[in-house]
Amino acid sequence: MHILCLALFFLAPEDLPKGEEVLSRYVQVTGGRAAYQQVHGSIAKGTMALTAQNVKGSMTVYESEPMKQVTVVEFPGIGRMEEGTDGTIAWSSSALEGARLKQGEEKAMALRAANSQTKFLDWKKLFKSVETLGLEDVDGKPCYKVLFTPLAGKPETEYYDKASGLLVKEMATVTMPMGEVAVSMTIGGYRQEGGILMPHSLQQNLAGQKIDITIESVAINPEFPAKRFDAPADVRALIK
Amino acid sequence: MRLLSLLLLPSLVCGAALTPDQTKNNILSFEYVWTTIRDKHWDKSLDGDKWQSVHDEFRPQVERAESMDASRKALNAMIAKLHLTHFGVIPGDVYSGLHGGAEAMDVRLIEGRAILVSGKHKGWQVEGVTDAIAKVNKSYEHSTMRELMASRAIASAAGERKVTLSDGRGHQAASEPEEFAPHGEPATFGNLPTQYVWTQSRKIGTAGYFAFNMFLDPGRLIPALAAALEDCAGCSGFAIDLRGNPGGIGAMAMGMAGFFIPEQGELLGTMQLRDSALKFAINPRTPQFQGKLAVLVDGLSASTSEIFASGLQDLKRARVFGSRTAGAALPSVIERLPNGDAFQYAIANYVSKNGGVLEGNGVTPDVEVRPKRESLLQGKDDALDRALQWLQQPH
Repeated sequence: MHILCLALFFLAPEDLPKGEEVLSRYVQVTGGRAAYQQVHGSIAKGTMALTAQNVKGSMTVYESEPMKQVTVVEFPGIGRMEEGTDGTIAWSSSALEGARLKQGEEKAMALRAANSQTKFLDWKKLFKSVETLGLEDVDGKPCYKVLFTPLAGKPETEYYDKASGLLVKEMATVTMPMGEVAVSMTIGGYRQEGGILMPHSLQQNLAGQKIDITIESVAINPEFPAKRFDAPADVRALIK
Repeated sequence: MRLLSLLLLPSLVCGAALTPDQTKNNILSFEYVWTTIRDKHWDKSLDGDKWQSVHDEFRPQVERAESMDASRKALNAMIAKLHLTHFGVIPGDVYSGLHGGAEAMDVRLIEGRAILVSGKHKGWQVEGVTDAIAKVNKSYEHSTMRELMASRAIASAAGERKVTLSDGRGHQAASEPEEFAPHGEPATFGNLPTQYVWTQSRKIGTAGYFAFNMFLDPGRLIPALAAALEDCAGCSGFAIDLRGNPGGIGAMAMGMAGFFIPEQGELLGTMQLRDSALKFAINPRTPQFQGKLAVLVDGLSASTSEIFASGLQDLKRARVFGSRTAGAALPSVIERLPNGDAFQYAIANYVSKNGGVLEGNGVTPDVEVRPKRESLLQGKDDALDRALQWLQQPH
């Protein structure tokens, strides 16, 4: 009996922090709640590259409270591609595909993505639950594996470095007209921007295609033109 | 003298034995190709003993290769074990110069002869390429790709030189330098060599006509199609000519089909990747063309052309005219290898809307019209004429 108790002692799992504790720590190590509350909008500029195919374009992400986001990518040989949400509708528009209003889970995901600050400061507005599932290594470093179950849409898994508290990996299923596609993203290159430690290097794997995103500059609380977050004309034409 | 030395240099390099670095890079390239196929091929069963034995068979050949050609031959022999299109190693120098003049030779194998199908000498035969045709006929006797490969072999055999043309009625002429020069606007996309993309748009009677040579440069090509459709709002029908079009960016098939499909949720087909399936979903867009639609194809219509034609045929939105397509429809990417060559490999299988596998089968037209030399010599276009006849008939 004594031997059995000892065995159980050694097999007992490490006490895991709750999901919201992992989130709180992330906010703390990246600048603290007060710093986040000073950020009301941003413009991030950088590049997006399909490295294996030698395709590289410019990328600009505009974000503003509440829930407004527009991403513009321009690839040589492809042209301009725009995705966005004004907090009510979510869309995509490009020469390649035309204009489209996102619906269902795809729309819900776009709205959540535009709400990144809320996710960390007030997660209950976006998610039913945030649970720590365990410890797993990412690139040889132990990370807390945290499952986010959104109010609408499929669960997403995130990995937070146990030592630094930083978010280092995300995994999700993206729903789009082409179907449901598993996507994973490694996150790094953290640097200070406006008092917050932000990732500047993202490597995404979408249906076997590797996409490298590099953020080169971030402007915090810029002035936006009045119609910056309005849907483009071809998208507005779809709204009846 | 300096120029002469430079010109000789490539042949000296080709003729020399490989340096240790070249051999090392060839082995690295071999490993890259073998591993890529193992890890990215949609058929996971390749990740097993059989593919390992292929590795063990061919790696020693690359190690022993005494020239770049011998190394490539071993690599391509390994790839040939897959029996699929869109896999291959392209020599670095060829890859860099893929847009040579012969690429613009619009030639088809018609009644066993190499016949030009457009331009000043439409209907004339290209002389001096019999051996090239014989080789292709032998290698691709039962393949849907025979016409595609014959056309490429003829253009390659003709090269950049002046060729002799004959009209079969006792007249001969030498080709003119500009006759086979690439035309259109240069377009690049990633590792793809520079291509020249052209569009043609016109009204013929009550129908519209739009042709283009590649699915590239969507920022220019798709607005050009939209403009042609705007101009043709009252047309009885519209023809899209994909004859000779080898494909390009797959997503353009969806983007272009959107002008002809008014409802969300329709598919051209499905791309089966290693771990997931991507639906080629059509996004309806404006201007929406509701009239009859004809798609023209031939044995040189490949890849994205086949995806577009088969999808709209399966949806019963388009009637397809011409001859069977190349059956070379696998979505692929091109990467540079450590030794400077380019490696093209397919990343997925493709199945059309109604479940047809395009690879090796092609698209069978609803109305088969094979080109005839006599018609070409008379300036006719039989497939287009049949399509126009249908497009201009009242409903």
